[in-house]
Amino acid sequence: MKRRIFLKGSLAAGTVAVAAGAGLLAPARVLAATWPEAAFAAKTEADALRAFFGDAAVVDSDKVSLKAPLQAENGAYVPIKVMTSLTDAEAIAVVVEKNPVPYVTSLQMTVVAGGMYSARIKMAQTSPVNCYVKAGGKLHKVSQEIKVTIGGCGG
Amino acid sequence: MATTKMKIKKNKAGGHDVMVLAKHPMETGLRKNKKTGEKIPAHFIQTMEFALNGTVVAQANLGAGVSKNPLIGIAIAGASSGDTVSVNWIDNKGEGDSAEKAVK
Amino acid sequence: MKKLFALMAATGVMVLASTTIQAISEAEIRSDIEAFQGFFLKRFPGLTLEDFADGVNALPQYAHRRANWELLMEFPPYEPEMEKAEQEWRKAFANGKTFADCTLAPANTYPVYDAGSDDLHTLVGDLNACLAANGEKPIKNVKYGKMARLVAHYRAQFNGERMAVDFSAAGARAWYEKGRHFYWARRGQLNFSCANCHVQNVGNSIRGDVLSAGLGHTVGFPVYRTQWAVAGKPWGTVHRRYAGCIKQLRASPFKTQGSEYKALEYYQAIMNTGVPLKVPSQRQ
Repeated sequence: MKRRIFLKGSLAAGTVAVAAGAGLLAPARVLAATWPEAAFAAKTEADALRAFFGDAAVVDSDKVSLKAPLQAENGAYVPIKVMTSLTDAEAIAVVVEKNPVPYVTSLQMTVVAGGMYSARIKMAQTSPVNCYVKAGGKLHKVSQEIKVTIGGCGG
Repeated sequence: MATTKMKIKKNKAGGHDVMVLAKHPMETGLRKNKKTGEKIPAHFIQTMEFALNGTVVAQANLGAGVSKNPLIGIAIAGASSGDTVSVNWIDNKGEGDSAEKAVK
Repeated sequence: MKKLFALMAATGVMVLASTTIQAISEAEIRSDIEAFQGFFLKRFPGLTLEDFADGVNALPQYAHRRANWELLMEFPPYEPEMEKAEQEWRKAFANGKTFADCTLAPANTYPVYDAGSDDLHTLVGDLNACLAANGEKPIKNVKYGKMARLVAHYRAQFNGERMAVDFSAAGARAWYEKGRHFYWARRGQLNFSCANCHVQNVGNSIRGDVLSAGLGHTVGFPVYRTQWAVAGKPWGTVHRRYAGCIKQLRASPFKTQGSEYKALEYYQAIMNTGVPLKVPSQRQ
């Protein structure tokens, strides 16, 4: 019952969002309501990026930063935080190069959302973690290698 | 079944950080049940929508590569005291949960 | 450092050789505390006594991984568990009373020596005794789950209070000696003592991990461990951790809440005199 009310509410809210979005940003960049299945199905980083962002040039950027441990405590639970000072950021994607599914998670946002995305991710092995922020038709990239080791005892 | 907790705090940029902790197994579909040897079917949150006063401002897309009991944090600019932030997630089985909190 | 080891080894041997010798004095225990804490403060000049409450996260050798902990603490994964703990704490017994009616010592003074029974009372033991006194079933598993949550809830009320365990009774000091011996004696196939790793090799790497400091151990317990959370039982009481440590030395663990662990808990609590409680703690 409660859930039904909520769904109804969010549906109505969705329409408002579309209207507001259309007013704010002329090319109507409305949030894709669907889960980007193709990106999650991609076996390589390049395929995933193309599936999610379309074709866009990748640039290394100092306007994007990543806070993450150099060495993870536990590969099953690695906290990461992407921050950007780009005010026109549209989407953020987190890619772990050596994971079976490299495309781990992403965020699509409107201007009302600030430039931060944090998550806790799984890592199969030591790998570079690449974060991409799409803004102004470009992909701003920041990367860091996170080590995943077999622990001795811990605590 | 599910419990979803939300936390809102001011960030350095003058906006708010919204953190959501959802209770979910986030099964990859690759693990096997040790006793039966059968694969445990994939079960993970796919989308998490964040709304400010009912207007969707961000959508996080999750895969099975996100940790069990995921924590997702985003920032929201321009929220003021009394505004409502809500989150609504749905997993690959169509199950979901939501949470709502007022900005202090 | 060598001096400390020699001193401890010598006293350990003495204790072993003749238990009939008069019990250790309060002054000797105080000098033990000074030597133990002094060692760590000298070894890590940038750290204060309070810093050691953060466990391994405080050590400079762990700096490359500290971001992991800092990010986790932005929304500690134990928070929903702590809410559950509070509900469990407030839930009335069949006789209408709650845990709030239990007679408990301040959390920073456990374990407490009881001269009447010549026994150490742990918080876990007192909570179960309180359940029994109120006609409730004591909690059987005292390593994780509900008991760990209750202990976390109670101890968290005393956060910031400095450890201050009483050792004025002669009987209590006999327990102290037993605990000290446990801490410094080698055991298991690996033939390590607690001190070999957490005093002698503190800050050094053991495979992919950094050895935490013996000072500050136990003040953050119960601990919420990522490793345990992934396996489904996130909480651990001090005695759960002891068992894990001892198994890793390839020795047989002792009985939970048995005299060996109680003595060890007592020794560690006394070594932490002055370190503030910081409960619960999040560790890897």
